[in-house]
Amino acid sequence: MKQISLLIIIMILALAITSCAPVEDDIFATARITVAAGDDLTITRVQAQAKLTNVNTRQVLSSANFEGNGVTIELLRGAYQIDIEGVATCQMPDGGTHMRQFRCQCDYAEFISKEQNDITLNMIFLD
Amino acid sequence: MRRLFLFILIFITIKAAWASDADSALVEHTTLGKLPQQESLRNPALHRIGYQQSFSQLALGIDLQRQSTAFIPEKGDGYTLPYLKVNTYHHLNQRSTVWGEASYMTGRQHNIKWNSTSDYDLLQPYILADTLGGDTRRERYTISGGYATRINRCLLGGEMLVRAEQEYRGHDPRMRGIVTDLTLRLGGGYEFNRYRLGAAVEGEIYKQTNSVAFYREEGVIPEYQMTGLGTEYSRFSGDKRSIYYDGGAVALLLHASPVGDCGPYADVTLDEHRYHRKLAEYNSMPLTDLYVDHAGTTIGWKRDNGSRLAAFAHLDYTRRTGNEHVGGTSDARYFPVIACLTMYKNRLFDSYLSALYGNRGWNVVIAAGYQSQNEEYIYPHREMDASHIYGKLQGQCFLHASDKLLLTVDAHAAYLANVSDKMQMPFANMEEGVTRLIHHKHEFAKADYTVLDAKVRADYAWKQTRYGLFAEAGGGITWCSAGEHQTLFQCAIGFTF
Repeated sequence: MKQISLLIIIMILALAITSCAPVEDDIFATARITVAAGDDLTITRVQAQAKLTNVNTRQVLSSANFEGNGVTIELLRGAYQIDIEGVATCQMPDGGTHMRQFRCQCDYAEFISKEQNDITLNMIFLD
Repeated sequence: MRRLFLFILIFITIKAAWASDADSALVEHTTLGKLPQQESLRNPALHRIGYQQSFSQLALGIDLQRQSTAFIPEKGDGYTLPYLKVNTYHHLNQRSTVWGEASYMTGRQHNIKWNSTSDYDLLQPYILADTLGGDTRRERYTISGGYATRINRCLLGGEMLVRAEQEYRGHDPRMRGIVTDLTLRLGGGYEFNRYRLGAAVEGEIYKQTNSVAFYREEGVIPEYQMTGLGTEYSRFSGDKRSIYYDGGAVALLLHASPVGDCGPYADVTLDEHRYHRKLAEYNSMPLTDLYVDHAGTTIGWKRDNGSRLAAFAHLDYTRRTGNEHVGGTSDARYFPVIACLTMYKNRLFDSYLSALYGNRGWNVVIAAGYQSQNEEYIYPHREMDASHIYGKLQGQCFLHASDKLLLTVDAHAAYLANVSDKMQMPFANMEEGVTRLIHHKHEFAKADYTVLDAKVRADYAWKQTRYGLFAEAGGGITWCSAGEHQTLFQCAIGFTF
């Protein structure tokens, strides 16, 4: 019986040692996407739809929850293609405000960090 | 015909006597009574004390299985596999023993769907798959050999096993899987006054090259890089049809048993397997890694002094973990890996209590247990669980029909009853074909099963020699509560020496 007890102790120790599959359970990341219009214009409000396509899984996420000139999205860590289309309220250098239609595009952006991932995209005005 | 059957029955009844002589080599090597020590025989050092008599056999046989519909579509709905196998176990002298096996098997797997990869049980869910499938041809060569010796109270042994296999299809989609599998085991043991302790280590190297070709250009369909529960690695699915698997395993085997006829015993097995799937046409880009951690233990008590009695409990836990590599932007067909995420988890648990009673002429084994499996894809969340309780009854008897003719009858019955099941899937976002596959798999995972198998073997021995001829035939049927069934037929002829 002494040997059996010894065997069970060895088994428990060996189990602890051999459970060594590398597990990465932190699979989600936060992406903060900011749109910018250049130095001359100040963006005060954005109403747009941001569509993010995971390059590897082809899963599509979308959000219209812009705060100021940016949107924050919880997503699977990975590489994404970004398309944003909508309107922005711009403050002109002369002090006037204008509503302008715009789009942003990025073919490849990595959101890998387990903390916040920031990216700034330049607006392409359509009007 | 009925008269002939009646005559055979009466003949056997009159002539039959339980094989009560000293165990013949055949009986010793095929008896169910050795069940409590089956686990320990993975340690090559303990092969030396596994059997008292040398025994060799050459067999030519065929295994056939048919299912009314495939229980697991990836494995097809049946097979026809003829084989030729020779195995030997030979005591060289009082101290040393050698054993070995060589076999060749060729045949067909029928109606495989959603799988273009060989060794499905080993590598699932990380396989290449298409919706068309079809029959495949299989060829397998195995060779193994081992040596064990005793130095005073020390037992030492080593063993090598090689498997080479190819599976292919002669029409579109022309899958091909070529497998090489090498396993090495080294073991030792020491006999104390009352107890024998054993330990062995095992190492495995595994490779498979896997591809699918289409000869008819108008009939090309996509091949999917499956990632579990109907998901796929979309970026590298479609026209990426050439992959390979690189892997291996390490295992630790521990054993304790009484040196005498009676006492408690225990076996512990710890395995860790890893299989990496790589994309051959993109600079060996790693796609997925599968890690299989397994721990199993048997603790029991046995007595073997003329009559056999054993009672044992078995626990088995397997954790299968799948990591997906996230590919970055390509540069001249080179994809850097920018992250690795654990997306697939599969946990399998099996436990049972079993008892064996018998003697040199017959054995009965009963078992009752519980098994469960939980399969999960993390995001988007998919889950499939099922658990069963089961009972098994197994019997074997050796009948001397005459001085030269020994009949061995084996029978096995089992019933698995589902106790719980669960499925959670994002069906709204799933394609129709995948949805059908998942429903089908869940239906068979949660089903109840009734299993009946029987086998008869006749051995004709030449008097005064160790040579003999044998023929065996067996069959079985499995009923599934999903309304389907499976039939099994096997037969073999050969000679023993």
